[in-house]
Formats: sequence, structure tokens, C-alpha cells
Amino acid sequence: MLALTKRRFLQLAGLSIAHRILPARLWAGAARLPQASRKVIIVTFGGGVRYSETFAPEGLRNIPRLVEMKPNGSFFKSCTNAGVLSHYNSTGSILTGNWQRVDDFGFQPPATPTIFEYYRKQTGAGPMDAWAIATNKSFSLIGSGADRSLGQPYGANVVLPKQLLLEAVEGVVKNNADAGVANRENVLRHLESILSEGYEGVGWTIFKAGGQLNRTVRDTLTHALVEYINGPEAPSSGDELTFFIAREVMREFAPRLMLVNFWDMDVAHWGSYSLYLQAITKTDRLTGMLWDEIQSNPNYKDRTTLLILPELGRDGDINAANGFLNHRSGDPSCRNMWLLAMGAGVAPGEIERPVFHVDVAATTAELLGFKAHEITGRPIQEILS
Amino acid sequence: MAGAAKLSPTLQALIDKGLFERLPATFSTFFFEQIQEWETLFPAERSYHERLFSLIDQSDPAAVEKLFEPLRRIEQLMGVNEKNWPRRHFTLDQVDFLNRSAHYPEWRRAISDIFARIDPLLEQEMARKGSARLAVVIAPAELPVSPDRMWLRIRQHGKRIPLQPPDDVADYLPLLLSGAPRKDGAQTISARYALAKEPYAAWSLEAGSGLSDLGASGALVALSYERLHDYRTRLTSEVMRILKAEDIRGPRQLLAKLKELRILASEGDVGRDPVLAEFTRATLLSGNGTLLINNTFVEWSTMQAVRRARPSVTVVSFGIRNKIKPFTSMLIYADQDKSSPIPTQMDTLGTYVDLEIFYQYIWQEFEKYAEYRHNTAYLFVGEGMDELLAIAPPDFPLLTAKQPVPLTQVFGTMKDWLRL
Repeated sequence: MLALTKRRFLQLAGLSIAHRILPARLWAGAARLPQASRKVIIVTFGGGVRYSETFAPEGLRNIPRLVEMKPNGSFFKSCTNAGVLSHYNSTGSILTGNWQRVDDFGFQPPATPTIFEYYRKQTGAGPMDAWAIATNKSFSLIGSGADRSLGQPYGANVVLPKQLLLEAVEGVVKNNADAGVANRENVLRHLESILSEGYEGVGWTIFKAGGQLNRTVRDTLTHALVEYINGPEAPSSGDELTFFIAREVMREFAPRLMLVNFWDMDVAHWGSYSLYLQAITKTDRLTGMLWDEIQSNPNYKDRTTLLILPELGRDGDINAANGFLNHRSGDPSCRNMWLLAMGAGVAPGEIERPVFHVDVAATTAELLGFKAHEITGRPIQEILS
Repeated sequence: MAGAAKLSPTLQALIDKGLFERLPATFSTFFFEQIQEWETLFPAERSYHERLFSLIDQSDPAAVEKLFEPLRRIEQLMGVNEKNWPRRHFTLDQVDFLNRSAHYPEWRRAISDIFARIDPLLEQEMARKGSARLAVVIAPAELPVSPDRMWLRIRQHGKRIPLQPPDDVADYLPLLLSGAPRKDGAQTISARYALAKEPYAAWSLEAGSGLSDLGASGALVALSYERLHDYRTRLTSEVMRILKAEDIRGPRQLLAKLKELRILASEGDVGRDPVLAEFTRATLLSGNGTLLINNTFVEWSTMQAVRRARPSVTVVSFGIRNKIKPFTSMLIYADQDKSSPIPTQMDTLGTYVDLEIFYQYIWQEFEKYAEYRHNTAYLFVGEGMDELLAIAPPDFPLLTAKQPVPLTQVFGTMKDWLRL
């Protein structure tokens, strides 16, 4: 079944995407560049989570994998989001090194260039070397900023797995297929079908680099979908698919710079504390699995810095409009987060010195050897040294 | 929609004499917009607005200027001007303007400081007029825990009272709330209070229909998630239609789009009262999961009722939340039962976790307001349980109980407390 599905996918992909080709010059240029050794993966442990449900003593039970990883990494006790407390602006601030104040719901690109653009332009890295894989379905413009001297030609591939899943599930429900979404094959068929018909329709940006590679992209994504749908646990969330796609991209393209945006814990808006806690534990598990992949993948092992941080917290239990449900009050539980840096060259320890979300971009620039101009953030020396 | 002409004479006079023009724009415009909805405001809200602006008007002008000076300074830094902040129209653009400003945290602090000075003055009057109040918060019988695992976040503020539950659990709520078994059909404490007092003084908010089944008087505000099914369904399909057809940036924009989608009289009793109809619409479309999860609706409508209507008697009854089915969580505005053939299952453990934090939020919300502090008895009850948690002033008689108390006695104590 799996092989057949894949073959069918490849056939369809070959027919439907041959005309969507990146200028060959761009890809050829990138391919000639020597592969530098260091890689950076930024994980937004996301959707909004408070210290009290993570690294506060009462929250540790929700994050067993991070607790296990922490002794091997640099743990920054205070990482502050001093910007706008929306998911898009917060993540944009992490990726640009400047506090973003654009449309909260992703209707505008970040106002200043992202690290993806600086990285690709200055190093000549190819289009498959920078990826943003985001559960948040409003992140379609997060891969590049509004600055016309850089912009999308140098941006990241942006993949929005949840949007794809949403379209597929809607398709199954609409068609009233046998057993509906309870039948995993139904969902898989719709996922494949959407990929075949053109993923741009679900808000993705994937730089085309020739028909053959494009086919590889699709093959990679489909493989992730198959693994997701047929995994040992009943798949249910966008973050799980985000993980599977991120892992597949790492295995196939080994990008040097990648954002993995988890978002399931924003289910807190529904007003169910138990669902929020479950989402935190799931994100913890997926983040741990990502670290496992880094450790076991020779393209990443010993050369990757993994930076894990929540993009924002949530309102406190006291004096806020409705506690954990929201994240706009601006009180300390919304702004005061943590940062865990793992991997290549990172010295274990706990650091008291406060750092900021915008420092992540500056640090990434130093790690990958490019300059990010005119940014507010400062490199975090404890990670670099 | 109410217009300025229907404003209270007190406020109209203050507007006419230019009070709102003299106050900082971000402060006065918000309130100006609020009072344009005069016909759909509760009496407590109307009273608050009148008292607030009368106080500002009657205060020493130099003191008022000093109070608002920090806010004026921050407005300048933010670049608030006539163009981006028209004086008499508060829109979503202004909300975005505030949210995105680099000075937003300072602005919030300045607003908070203003109310920290004003509220105690307004509250003195409320405290002087204070009378005994009651809040009963009921957990469903299906919770898989015993009383020693209940109310963990707030129990240190109160006392666990031993109870004598009836043999038949079906009589538990009737005995507690009406002092008589179900077959007697006696009036509940909230219905009695509603009949005896002013409008909107007694509320009953529930996930299911257990409270409604006990009967209600017309004066009681009764909101049931279950009984709002038809309205919820209509709202849900309308939300889905709009989300499909238009680019909606967020919940606030959605709420503005659905401003006119009021509950019909055929969809619930609250549809007959314009104030409650608007309250119900706003609660269900707040973007806080109130359309989707029964207990979120109960919690948020309670919070809003306390904030806006300040009821004297509030009975809140939670239910059991269903498990979220695989994949259907993606389709938040779709009917979960139709989307998946997997049988619906109750999530009793998840509900227990959800409610533990809601007890805290609800109790805290009441205690924010002078009307409730020092004179409110809060009874946290688990249907069928042989204990309740009472948080109450020291003179609340139940606090001295040494032996298990019959539910009829709890009812009697509540009735006496409210002087009914």
C-alpha cells in the first residue's frame, strides 16, 4: 500500500509540477558552494506556554524530555519577549532580531529581513538550505521580510503542515467517505491529493529547483505524510505532522538553517486546561524526538545547535482577564520565558543573565557565519563560546 | 442599536459639557463607545459609568489633570492624534494600534494606575451598600475523584463541610438548591431571589439542563449551553461560512462581523431580553472556546456576568467535556458528531483537571469587586459528594458545623444568609 501510494504520487507529481521550475542558474550556483559544517535549528516550543507549566518546579512533570535534555545544554533562565504578544510577531522577532509590529495574523511579512535571507544571500546557500516548517497556519509569509533588497528570492521554504491537514480533513468530511476521518487511509488520500494539485494553495512556499528536485520535495513530503498517518499512535495534531515533515526534510535535504514551529498548545484558547497540558507534553515529546534525530543523523550530529524557546507565554492566573486561555495581558507570565540551547559546542549550565528573543537571530548569524545588519538583538556569547 | 439620544441624562449632560473631550483620547474614546450601547448594558454597568464620570467631573480639576498626566505623556509617545484616533469612534484599528505600539506595556500600566486610584473611591460607596451574596459552584457527579482531591487550588481559603447526601443522587441538587426532593418541585434559591429582588440579580449558568429542570421563574437569568444548542449551531455555521468566504484576521474581527447575529426568541428565553440577547451573543463569540466546549461557556459566561451584571446570587453548574476525536479538532467549527463516526466519549479526568483551575478563576473574579468582598458565601459542591468547600465570612453559619449537615440545612442556611 505504501509503495503503491508513493508510486502514484510520483506519477502525479511528474505530470503536474514539471512546469514549475526555479531558474536553473540559482540552483546550479548553490550546488557549487562548499557545504559548511555548522547547522542551526530553532524550535519555537510554541503556541504559548507559561513558565509555571514548564520549567517551574510544578511544571516539570509536563516536560520530561526537556528535563532530561537540560543538563546537557545551556539553560537561560530568563529569555524575554519584549515585543507584541501575538504568535506571528513573536516568531518574526525571533527570526529577524528586531521586535516586529506587523499584522498579528500574518497578513504582512516581517518588516525587516529574516536570518534566512541574510544567510542565503551572504553564503550563497541554495534554496533547499533554509526551511520554516510551521504548524501555525498563518505563517505563510514568515520565510522572508518586506525589505526588497532581500525578500523572497533569499527566503526560506515555508511548509504549513496543519493547513494541509486541515484541507484534507475537510475534504474527507465533505465527501462523506466511508468511516470518515476515522479511516486513516481516507485522510492520507486527501493529503496526497492536495499535494498533487499544488501545495501553493495551502499557503506554502517551496522554491522550485528543477523538476527532478521538485519531485524529490514532493516525495519527501509524502513520505512524511505516510509515516504520520501510519504511525504507532493515532495521529491527531498538526504538531505531529510538523515533526514528521521536519524530520523528513532533515533526512532528505539536511538544511543548515531551519525553524520548526510547534503550535498545538494554543488549544488553551478553547478553555481546557487539560488539553493545554496534553499539548505541552506532546510538544515536549516531539522536541525530544527532534533532538534524537539530530543525534542519530550524521548530517547533524555534533554540528548542530538546537535553540528551543517558547515564542510567548500566557496570561497569569491572578489579575488577568482569563488566565491561561489568553496571552495578551503583557504580565510577566506572558513575557518571561526560558531558552534551552543544545548541541555543538554548547557548554552545559544554567545562565542567570537575561537574554531576549531577538538575541536568537544575532546568535544564529554568528553560528552560521553571516552578518545580520541593523538588528536589535545581540549574540548570546555563552552559546558561541 | 442604542444611540446617544438614549443615554442617561447624567452622562449626556457630562458629554454636553465637554468632559470626554478633556480626558485623554485612549481613555475617553473607549468609554464613549461603550456607553453608545446603553440599551444593552446591565444596570450595574450603567451605574458604574455614571458614577465614574460623575466622580471625575466633580473632582478637583488639578487632581484630575495630575491623574491623567502620565497617560497623556504616553499617548504622545505613541503618536496618538486626531487622525489615527478619532475622538468618538473606537474601532478594531485602535485596538491594533495599541497592541502593536512599542509603548503598549507603559500604556497598560498607566491605565492600571488610573484605576488603582479611582476604583477605591467608587468601591467605598459599593461597600457601604453591601448586602449578603451567594455563589454556588457545582461539579458534575461523574467526576472520578473524591472530595479530598477537589478544589485543591482554593481550599486553603475555606473549610470543608461534611454533608449528609441523600440516598437517591437525583435528589441531591433539588435538596441543596430548593430544600425539598425533586418530586416536590420546590422553587430554587436563585429563582426565589430573582422574584424578590431587582432584575438580573440572580443567575443560573450551566453546561447541561439540570438546573433548568428544577424550574425557574421568569426573573431568573438562566443560561444553559445545552439549551442554546440551536443558537450555537446557527452561529457555528455562520462562523464557518464567513471564515471560508472572507479573510478574517482574528476573533475580534469575527466578532465585529457577527454583531447582528442575535439569538432569536425561538432559540432561547434570553432572546426576549435585548440585554441578555447581546450578552449571550458576545459570550459565545468571544473567541475563548465558548462555542466549542460546554464548561468554557459556563466559566466565561460566569466571569462576564460577574464583571458586568454583578449578580447577588449565582448558581454555576459544570458538566463533563467530551473527548476530542482524532482529526476533528482541526475543524473547530464543525459538528464533531457528524465529522467522525467514532462514538463520542466523556473525558471525565480531563474535565476534573479543567474544573480545578476554573474554580480558582471564578472565585478570584468575584473577589475583584467590592460588592462581593467580605459578604459573599461561596459554596463549592460536587454532586453526590459528602463534603462541600465553603469560603465565606466568619459569620456564615455553616462554617461552625461539626457533624455532617443535611442538604436541607444547607439550603436553609443559604436562605437565611440572603434573608429570603
